[in-house]
Amino acid sequence: MQRKFFSAIAALTISSTLSLYAFADTTPEDAADYRSAVMTSLRGHIGAASMIARGLVENDGHLLGHAQGLANGANELSRVFPKGSNVGESEALPLIWEEPEAFAEAIANLQEATAAFVTAAESGDEEAIGAAFRNVGMSCRGCHDRFRVQQ
Amino acid sequence: MGAAAMMAALSAFAADDIVERGRYLTYAGGCISCHTEDVEDAIPLAGGRAMETPFGTFYSPNLTPDMKSGIGGWSDDDFVDAFWEGVSPDGKHYFPAFPYTSYTGASRDDLLAIKAYLFSLEPVPKETADHDLAWYMSSRIAAGAWKAVNFEPARFEPDPSQDEQWNRGAYLVRHLGHCGECHTPRNAIGVSQADTEMAGSTFGEEKIPNITTHRIDGIGRWSASDIEYFLDIGMLPDGDFTGSSMVDVIEDNTSKLTRDDRLAIASYLKSLPPRESAED
Repeated sequence: MQRKFFSAIAALTISSTLSLYAFADTTPEDAADYRSAVMTSLRGHIGAASMIARGLVENDGHLLGHAQGLANGANELSRVFPKGSNVGESEALPLIWEEPEAFAEAIANLQEATAAFVTAAESGDEEAIGAAFRNVGMSCRGCHDRFRVQQ
Repeated sequence: MGAAAMMAALSAFAADDIVERGRYLTYAGGCISCHTEDVEDAIPLAGGRAMETPFGTFYSPNLTPDMKSGIGGWSDDDFVDAFWEGVSPDGKHYFPAFPYTSYTGASRDDLLAIKAYLFSLEPVPKETADHDLAWYMSSRIAAGAWKAVNFEPARFEPDPSQDEQWNRGAYLVRHLGHCGECHTPRNAIGVSQADTEMAGSTFGEEKIPNITTHRIDGIGRWSASDIEYFLDIGMLPDGDFTGSSMVDVIEDNTSKLTRDDRLAIASYLKSLPPRESAED
């Protein structure tokens, strides 16, 4: 239920234009750069979390910070794809705005997966952490595969 | 886990059930990505995927044991010869879109396990389209001529100077997994160049990465764990996630392997000399 609600909000945001940012004189380029910065922060958290999940770095509690960073970033994703922001260095595919509901669903998946990862990180249970992290990764991959320019 | 433990795990597997082992090797051989149509709800391994190449469009055949449209009538030797020699049961030459140039190194045991698995599937009556090829490739004689010049059937021989993990990796990368089919550049007539093994290539619109140990052009800065993890879930060492045709390979092949097999692949890749990417 909660997920349906979130993805409905996200779909609305994605199909709305830049007006969301207009009060701050945000240009389409700014919106694209901001999105890219949010993505970079996600990438940093996931890179660090993966090393802990793989057992290469010991988890002395700091995994939780990365998990929360991922969850916060995932929540923000709903608002960083305003219509008209596919400019500059943006690697977004037009499909995002052509199929806002499918895209919102993909973001809702990530939000669910990152929330579950926070829960796993809080529990400290290695197996749960590994499985939850894997789901976060699958969610990133699924979305990039479908909605991002092929690299 | 060490190489010895890995081999023990594999042989325990082997003794169990040839069909189960064949299923695993079917993943390792990357059969599913090409032999499954690229549509929603496609039946795995029933063929029909269009593969666009500079030489025309190939349509992958049906690998289910249907007697008429599939491989239900094939003998063990028919099956092995397809991989080792690149010939069909009625003696026709395959085009190297079927990567027998890599598969020729596969062991008979492994191939027959794959066959046992394929024969355990539900037969699916499904004819696939004829290949749609450039005029100079549009006959099996062209395939035969290409083979006569460019193909040497040979089994994989373990290198005794390397450990078991490396040898397992070499077998998976060079032969069963046929990684070089995309990652090794080809010359104008489509022959992979041994001295540029894994130095990257271009496939249609897509740039296939250099996966040698070159620190700038390749993946020389990746650890074995980074490679293993990438092959498992698709994460690049910087935390980014690939969204390329490698996603299919990860889904239908490398993520289904044991961690030890992925580490074996990493061990082999880490041993390749650094090579610069070719200029476009």
